[in-house]
Amino acid sequence: MQTHLEMDIENIKIKMFAMADLAIEAIKLSIDSLKKGDLELAKEIIKNDSKMDRLEIEIDDECIKLLVTRQPAASDLRFALAMLKINTDIERIGDLATNVARETLKINGAPLIKPLIDIPRMAEIVVKMIQSGFEAISEKDVNKARSVLPMDDEIDELNMQIYRELFTYMSESSKNISQSLSLIMVSRALERAGDHAKNIAERAIYYIMGDDIRHQNPKGI
Amino acid sequence: MKDKIIAEDVSFYYGSNQAIRNISLKVKKNSVMALIGPSGCGKSTFLRCINRMNDIIPETKITGDIKIDDVSIYGSKYNVTALRRKVGMVFQKSNPFPKSIFENIAYGLKINGVKDKYEIEYIVEKSLKDTALWDEVKDRLHKSALGLSGGQQQRLCIARTIAIQPEVILMDEPASALDPISTQKIEELIQVLKKDYTIIIVTHNMQQAARVSDYTAFFYMGELIEVDKTEKIFTRPSKEMTENYITGKFG
Repeated sequence: MQTHLEMDIENIKIKMFAMADLAIEAIKLSIDSLKKGDLELAKEIIKNDSKMDRLEIEIDDECIKLLVTRQPAASDLRFALAMLKINTDIERIGDLATNVARETLKINGAPLIKPLIDIPRMAEIVVKMIQSGFEAISEKDVNKARSVLPMDDEIDELNMQIYRELFTYMSESSKNISQSLSLIMVSRALERAGDHAKNIAERAIYYIMGDDIRHQNPKGI
Repeated sequence: MKDKIIAEDVSFYYGSNQAIRNISLKVKKNSVMALIGPSGCGKSTFLRCINRMNDIIPETKITGDIKIDDVSIYGSKYNVTALRRKVGMVFQKSNPFPKSIFENIAYGLKINGVKDKYEIEYIVEKSLKDTALWDEVKDRLHKSALGLSGGQQQRLCIARTIAIQPEVILMDEPASALDPISTQKIEELIQVLKKDYTIIIVTHNMQQAARVSDYTAFFYMGELIEVDKTEKIFTRPSKEMTENYITGKFG
């Protein structure tokens, strides 16, 4: 039979995973809307963000309730602390997906100045990072969580590459400037989403092992 | 910090029943160590080994050794009365003498040979102040201690213990029969007392262990499973059994 503590933890976990699914969906759809110039889809992504905002508040409340009423210790305590922080990261990823959607609205269906290759690639990595981070939590698999950390470097490199490429486009013709700036903003949003996904993996490691590996050289881990 | 108490391979038997098994444990001077574990795990038995309280129970046997300040307290020439003066004890149920508040504290001093009236008065006042009881009882010092509340009685027992200036204080669930306010006062007192004393506390209340102690030792079925800094035990214990106990999965 489950204890009340276990039930509370399970409940938080279910909401947290629902939140992760929403964030992954938002990132994927935001890139789809950008690629296709689908303004309706972009608007829907922005509208749906409120679902994540509500869940964020609910998860925070439930974590606080868990801390106050159950006074968890050891892995249960680490769970509550990690979830409070992961909750913020995942909500920020949702916000960043809406940033991408807003740039799609700015581009307003105009043909893209270049085929999108690196930007979808960045989004794919972000999605993979979130998925692995949450699988690590569910399976208590610290190696899986660790595998997420170097992926952020790949995202940072792609981001720099996109910057360089778009600077070239802008210097070629001033007509390209507006859309190039939008794509730079998209790339920047995905790079930030990568940072948050990395945070999630770090907090997963804290939850599983109790080790705080923030602000360390990832190669040293 | 120096080790005040060193237990080496201590086992204790009630008749043929072995209550604690090969416990080795060090307690640093001026620190608070909490002993936690389910009922019957041997934590109180171990606590009572430290001032040889178990000596008075018939058909018991202890093996191994306990040293205080590097001197074996089970040595054949060791003076047990001196040991109990050095190692004070506070019990779960407050047990003041059926005398006045003043006499409760003065008694220990008198039997220890303090004769000077002014010195006794000074120590009584200081002990009551150190246990934050002075303001509550200063106008009724010569009234019966049994008229105090449970929490006040327990603090009086602590005052009585520290009046004779022990070096170690053993506490066996000192707050388990008290209301939250009195419990808080006892816990705050422990924090103050550790500046002068080395304290070992047995508690069933895990939040209390987390709040008051510097180190926590987890006992199970007479064995010491894990001992570490309290913060580590309650956030990331090394042993799965400790984890299961403090997260409430058994016990």
